[in-house]
Amino acid sequence: MEKVELVSYFNESLFIPALRAKTKDGVLEELVDCFVEAKFLRNPAIALEMVHRREQLGSTGIGHGIAIPHGRTTAAPEVMIAFGLSKNGIDWQAMDNKPVHLVFMVLAPPQELNNRYLPVLGRLVEVLSEPHHREKFHSVTTYSDFINLLKS
Amino acid sequence: MSGKIKTQIEFLVALQDLDIMIKEIEEVKELGFEVNGEGSAALISAREELVQKIKKPMLAAYERLRNRYKRAIVPVKDDNCLGCFMKLPTSITAHGRTDKEVLVCENCGRILYWLS
Repeated sequence: MEKVELVSYFNESLFIPALRAKTKDGVLEELVDCFVEAKFLRNPAIALEMVHRREQLGSTGIGHGIAIPHGRTTAAPEVMIAFGLSKNGIDWQAMDNKPVHLVFMVLAPPQELNNRYLPVLGRLVEVLSEPHHREKFHSVTTYSDFINLLKS
Repeated sequence: MSGKIKTQIEFLVALQDLDIMIKEIEEVKELGFEVNGEGSAALISAREELVQKIKKPMLAAYERLRNRYKRAIVPVKDDNCLGCFMKLPTSITAHGRTDKEVLVCENCGRILYWLS
């Protein structure tokens, strides 16, 4: 898998340092609504339908307190990632059955000129699979800290 | 709060998203995500349910366009169809954003979806 830089796919308006929702469905909705409020999406229902379908295929909770709900939707103009942190943890039916604290929602259009979606998704999994790196995301409170962490 | 899918164009977009997801299952699995057989079957079943909600001529147009172009529904940006990149007439652009009608590009025939 080609190494891609992730920073350009994030945006401050897609950064939620304290998720309000307490359930998996609630978090999916909160993050999709965040895309809408940031004016990246017009119609939340379409993206929400897609991320729910994706969860039907198998949980996107990859273990170690991380979930990466993702998918291509006709409603997305470009590859974008929203981040949400839950202090209490969410039951995500993750691979290791542990509660999820870090949620990265990756949305992509049906087709892109440079085909970045799968490399971005792969790179995110790779970055978050490093224990030392992963732990630091739990304590981020500001977007600049978050981006600095991604760059490190 | 996020609403529910209710119009024909929304159903068509959901169908295209589902078709893409089904097509990319193996690639996503290779990245290390959990994909179970039950889930794959659920997607096929969800597709069957979804097509029941779409009017037959719309569905036929979607399938025909999908065979021809791979993506039957394309975004509209700055009043241009991003399938063939032709400028759309105001008679079409004035109605697209409401999602109430299914509109097609007069040049390439693809179904149009307004991103903003």
